[in-house]
Amino acid sequence: MKLLRSKKGNENDYIAVTPSDAKYVVRNPFSEDLRINGHKQEIKIFEDDEGFTFIEFRNKKYLAEITDKTQNKYVVLLNGVSYSFTIESPISYRRRKYLKKYKQANKLEVVTAPMPGKVLELLVEENARVKEGESILILEAMKMQNEITTQVAGKIRKINVRAGDSVTKDEVLMEIER
Amino acid sequence: MKIKSLLIANRGEIAVRIIETAKKLGIKTYGIKSIKEPNALYLRLVNDVIDFSVSLDEIPEFLDVEKIIDAARTLKIDAIHPGYGFLAENPYFARRCEEENIIFIGPSASAIYKMGNKTIAKQIASKYKVPLLQGSQGNVKSVQEAADIASKIGYPVILKAAAGGGGRGMRIVEKASHLEKMFKMATNEAEKAFGDPSVFIEKYVRNPRHIEFQILGDRQGNYIHLGERECSIQRKHQKLIEESPSIALDENLRKEMGLSAIRIASAVNYYSAGTVEFLLDADKNFFFMEMNTRIQVEHPVTEMVAGIDLIEWQIRIAEGQKLAVVQEDVKLTGWAIECRINAEDVQAGFSPNLGIIEKISYPKGKNIRIDSGVTDYSVITPYFDSMVAKLIVHAETRDKAIAASTAALKKFWIRGIKTTIPFCLAVMDNKKFRKGDFNTSFIEKDMDKLFYNDVEDEMLAAYVAAFDFAAELETNRTTKPDFERGKNISPWVLNKRLKSL
Repeated sequence: MKLLRSKKGNENDYIAVTPSDAKYVVRNPFSEDLRINGHKQEIKIFEDDEGFTFIEFRNKKYLAEITDKTQNKYVVLLNGVSYSFTIESPISYRRRKYLKKYKQANKLEVVTAPMPGKVLELLVEENARVKEGESILILEAMKMQNEITTQVAGKIRKINVRAGDSVTKDEVLMEIER
Repeated sequence: MKIKSLLIANRGEIAVRIIETAKKLGIKTYGIKSIKEPNALYLRLVNDVIDFSVSLDEIPEFLDVEKIIDAARTLKIDAIHPGYGFLAENPYFARRCEEENIIFIGPSASAIYKMGNKTIAKQIASKYKVPLLQGSQGNVKSVQEAADIASKIGYPVILKAAAGGGGRGMRIVEKASHLEKMFKMATNEAEKAFGDPSVFIEKYVRNPRHIEFQILGDRQGNYIHLGERECSIQRKHQKLIEESPSIALDENLRKEMGLSAIRIASAVNYYSAGTVEFLLDADKNFFFMEMNTRIQVEHPVTEMVAGIDLIEWQIRIAEGQKLAVVQEDVKLTGWAIECRINAEDVQAGFSPNLGIIEKISYPKGKNIRIDSGVTDYSVITPYFDSMVAKLIVHAETRDKAIAASTAALKKFWIRGIKTTIPFCLAVMDNKKFRKGDFNTSFIEKDMDKLFYNDVEDEMLAAYVAAFDFAAELETNRTTKPDFERGKNISPWVLNKRLKSL
């Protein structure tokens, strides 16, 4: 198979891929000879008396926390900012790239709730055509009314909620066909 | 009359703040325990807890006028401090306290009513020659009426809830075609938030600064102002960072605005602490917006520069004491900045980030003040607002206050929830903010990125993820099954485990 025949990567490489497909090749994470994207780095991980985990890098301290982890998908909070990664081995990384190339562009866009709240009003109906940036729903959260807008133009294929429904964060509100 | 006992009809950081002053004055404190937050920090600090968590009433506990009055009466409590929000600006509650001979820590019911009703407040301001924005004479009853007024004064206009405050029930209308939708939203929101759908309309000033004056008045009719607070760093009318003084004011303007604020307060025989809010346009014209008849979230910046305890003065004035200082004695020194630390995910449009604070650690320093309502293992619930703490820093100059705030924010550590700390850091780092060149549209217009991070941060985060993944892989390879499934194990622990194999 062509995919597996290509040259084998270093087995101590762990490739952290960001949602925008930037990659960090971390080699020898436990050893003194730590390299990231080929550059030798000195990074220490330690825990303080209060139970916080810190990274020490170039004499600076960074507060770190793994906030979510499902198999090889990670969300790391560093100094209060979230970063998402998928960790790949050199082989799985090549497979990922290969698959991506052949994957069809997704035509279905889902609109999710940006925050938990209550659906106050639906501003569109199923099968309606919407423009990019158009308000489609009003979501009440923490006593504020928020207009939820669509990021894409298209046809409303499915509405999963009704006025008065309570929704959780990331719940799918509508599906829009581009 | 000396107040010996105090019921705090509030929660969170302001309850903690009031307890602190009450303790200092030797006043016994009572707190209200709600079922939504039975382990809250303030309940550990009060002398006595009144348990409202046993019954499940329709009315939320901090809004239940009769139940609170009843508790105060039964326990023979001298006074009630409403804090901010909830019943703080409810004239009916203040009147019920008056009727039951319970001291309400705040102004009279009549002053709350007059200032709470935006229409009356505006009539008073106009009578006392305080500049006002053009708009409706009173509430607008229909979309048509709103449209008529809007076309007369010109777009953009703003619709505001007559009973409003805190940014709720407010909608900006850019053009006539948006009016109907916005009118509906504003009235809906007003009804929801305040139980009163009335709205009024006024000319919308683009990109104004939000400047407010802290005043204190006693029952003898003496008034002072304690300078201004600049609260222009707002998102959807919610203040996020406040400072005192404001870089936009000079001595003359400060004096003029301060006197206007006092004129409005004295017009309603105001006593206690109060705040008069103004809009300041780019040409330094100011317009009266509203008066908040309560202690405000951002009161600490004034306390830092004025060197006084506003809650203490609220209590003293409620006891009938006279103000101890006259205007000439008010000395404002240095610069204070307050950063609100909210449990919000800045990267997800400031959405509430609910959860448990696993660990919290505050920056320490001589000029650092923390007003916090939480501690380790506090739960952030969806029932209350998202503010968990405030960081207030005082320094000689604005530049130094910004530098000190930055340093303090970097040592403000929380595990378990996301907060607005990276946002506050981004503001402190912003060139325009540093120069003092900003207004209420700062967040939308002048911030490229809503959170602060350094170039190497993503790489370091990638390292943490890779390290953890590799460590877990190694553990699986060499040991028995991991019964915790690697959940919530810090990389450090995994690392140590590996070494001890």
